[in-house]
Amino acid sequence: MDIVVCVKTNPDLELVRVKDRVAQTEGVPYKIGDLEKNALEAAVTLRESGAASNVTALCVAEGNRKAAEDIKVALAMGADEAVVIDDPALAEPDQAAVAAVIAAAVRKLSACDLLLFGEGSSDNYTGQVGARVAELLDLPQIGYARTVEAEGDVVRCERSMDDVIETVQAPLPAAVTVVSEVNEPRIPGLMQIMKAKSKPLQVWSLADLDIEAPVPVREIESNLAEEQDRKHIVFEGTAAEQAEAFVDALIREGVLGR
Amino acid sequence: MESVECIVVGGGLAGLSAAYGLAEAGLEVMVLERGDYSGAKNVTGGRLYVKPIRGFYPELWDEAPFERPVARELVTMMADGAHTTVEIASDRFLEGGPQSYTVVRAKLDQWLADKVMEKGAMVVPNMKVDELLRKDGRVIGIRAGGDEIGADVVVVAEGVLRLLSSAAGLAAQPQPRHHALGYKEVIELPAGVIEDRWHLNPGEGAAQLFMGDCTRGMMGGAFLYTNKESIALGMVVGMEDMRRRRDGTESWQLLDAFKELPQIRPLIAGGTAAEYSAHAVPEGGITQVPRLAGDGYVVAGDTAGLSFNALVTVRGMDFAVASGYYAAEAIKKAKAAGDCSAAGLASYEQSLRSSFVLRDLETARNIPGVMENPRLFTHYPAAVGRLLESVYTVGEQPQAGLVKKAWNGVRRDFLSLATLRDAWSMRKI
Amino acid sequence: MNIDAKLGLDVFKLDKEPHIVIDTEVCRTQCDDEACLYVCPADLYERDDQGRMTVNWEGCLECGTCLLCCDRRALSWAYPHGPFGVQYRMS
Repeated sequence: MDIVVCVKTNPDLELVRVKDRVAQTEGVPYKIGDLEKNALEAAVTLRESGAASNVTALCVAEGNRKAAEDIKVALAMGADEAVVIDDPALAEPDQAAVAAVIAAAVRKLSACDLLLFGEGSSDNYTGQVGARVAELLDLPQIGYARTVEAEGDVVRCERSMDDVIETVQAPLPAAVTVVSEVNEPRIPGLMQIMKAKSKPLQVWSLADLDIEAPVPVREIESNLAEEQDRKHIVFEGTAAEQAEAFVDALIREGVLGR
Repeated sequence: MESVECIVVGGGLAGLSAAYGLAEAGLEVMVLERGDYSGAKNVTGGRLYVKPIRGFYPELWDEAPFERPVARELVTMMADGAHTTVEIASDRFLEGGPQSYTVVRAKLDQWLADKVMEKGAMVVPNMKVDELLRKDGRVIGIRAGGDEIGADVVVVAEGVLRLLSSAAGLAAQPQPRHHALGYKEVIELPAGVIEDRWHLNPGEGAAQLFMGDCTRGMMGGAFLYTNKESIALGMVVGMEDMRRRRDGTESWQLLDAFKELPQIRPLIAGGTAAEYSAHAVPEGGITQVPRLAGDGYVVAGDTAGLSFNALVTVRGMDFAVASGYYAAEAIKKAKAAGDCSAAGLASYEQSLRSSFVLRDLETARNIPGVMENPRLFTHYPAAVGRLLESVYTVGEQPQAGLVKKAWNGVRRDFLSLATLRDAWSMRKI
Repeated sequence: MNIDAKLGLDVFKLDKEPHIVIDTEVCRTQCDDEACLYVCPADLYERDDQGRMTVNWEGCLECGTCLLCCDRRALSWAYPHGPFGVQYRMS
């Protein structure tokens, strides 16, 4: 069985400073998302148990210029090979675009029986990409998986729901998105990191996938309320006078009685 | 055991400088850095004297992400509420390439690590080395977690604490009397405000050192360096003095007290504290430099004790880069000759001895001893303040003449047996 | 600015295990100056309600001052493992 693990890299959120309400990402190193590490660990565990034969880490660079370097962590964690899709047209793709690219890449890969994702990315956590890819490739999908077992031509998962745990089985090929309870990802040792250097790593562009550059469907605008200075007005007098003065002030400011 | 040609322990300026030279020569190099990235665990006051190292890897320094070239040097002596500042702005500080820059290590070291990787070395972050492996007295590799990796040569650039090198018997355990605690806040201010407050042309920077009662009689002082859009404001205090102190003041409170002084408050007004950091600083001088090379290893940077505090010039990062450069040169020679023993690596120490690194440290040999004189941090800053204050004072009573005032001050505070003794002890610094 | 606010500016990645362990018996029987209480720039050392020395290692700046100043050798002090500990961004 061949497993493909889809891995997103994002700026290490713990290192991002906020200055004047803007996240400062310049110089912040990227790393593989937490849930993607869970997915990788699940894949490598399956291979180590003999249930899978090959694990490929697949990463859409999404503007990370060092994605081909950062993905080596996946190789050090035990993936057998890695593919990075890096293209200037993919600097800031939306979820639909990422899903389309992953679907095209999976089609190009020679074999994929099980497609693993994190349930959501560490930065945006839209939780869309796994389901979208499953739909594009017409695969059954199991979400919120807290266990992943593969046997013969089926994958079986326990799903964490609010008050129950479901056990779901799907025929392979299938897509599974995992939650953090699934395992404790390993921290690769130096030897693994050194060995990762010689594992196969390919970088593909959109042309290699033979698809057009996806057009983002919307722009994201900030939904933060505008910052305002406080007025520091103190009203004096009886409660009634204060209330009256307060209402007058609100009307003057255009807040009331428009 | 798996092995590589060279392992560099520590991805700071010394380690990266060595790795750059080795990788450039085509040697197989692996740098092990315990931080998230090079610079993540490093702390500087903030200034790198780049002049002495421009000749090493000259292609690098013009594109280095420095903060500001230092165009103004200020020294402030403070006591009893009187601050006396000497300010030097010289064209020579900037001519032919500035002699020094303020730096932020998180940026500078990360950039240098990228350059090292471009040369083909492997830089592994988040990797702590747990042990230097020895066999028959020779360093044969390292252990990190459960993995042992061999190397022809290990460059030990683990920093000031010498945890690995002292455990392996390569260097003495660091003692408090040879070290200071340096700690600082990085305070964000707009570039224009920084330039206004320190009278700087756009892009230029200032370095300001403070001596006197900010350390309450302890060896050390305060410092202020202007970055692009922040200032680094901190203190350096001798550890031995700090350790013996019993008055209940905690080290970190000195900086807060300093920030509250009426002379300092306007310098940082409106600023936003952005980071707080601390590190031990080697100040033992040349007497604390260990054996620099042995069978299978060289020692560089702070681990080698290559730094000094000469009151107005505080150096270490330039020595780190230089020692890394000479380490790489020596290792290249040793590898070519197929002899990575102490004898094969002996050119490392020879190069450092004939270069500015050990020569400047030799010149500064007596400074650490002189710095143990508490009058340097109490009497003199106060005396200078008293003298100038009296010259500038206009009171209700008829005033003595200018020369008389000055002469009184000199006679009171500078013409004493103690001062003569101090002058005698300082003749060799 | 209190020390907690200063440390709150920094990034600490926390290991499950402490990287500083105190031999409190040494502190109790051999130490009379308790330098660790006032040399630490992060103010991490304090006595617990039973009088034992403790260290809030999670906020450690990894400067090494306590290690150098503890001349009774009561500290077993290592750097935090690879991905952990303080990560400076502007120093």
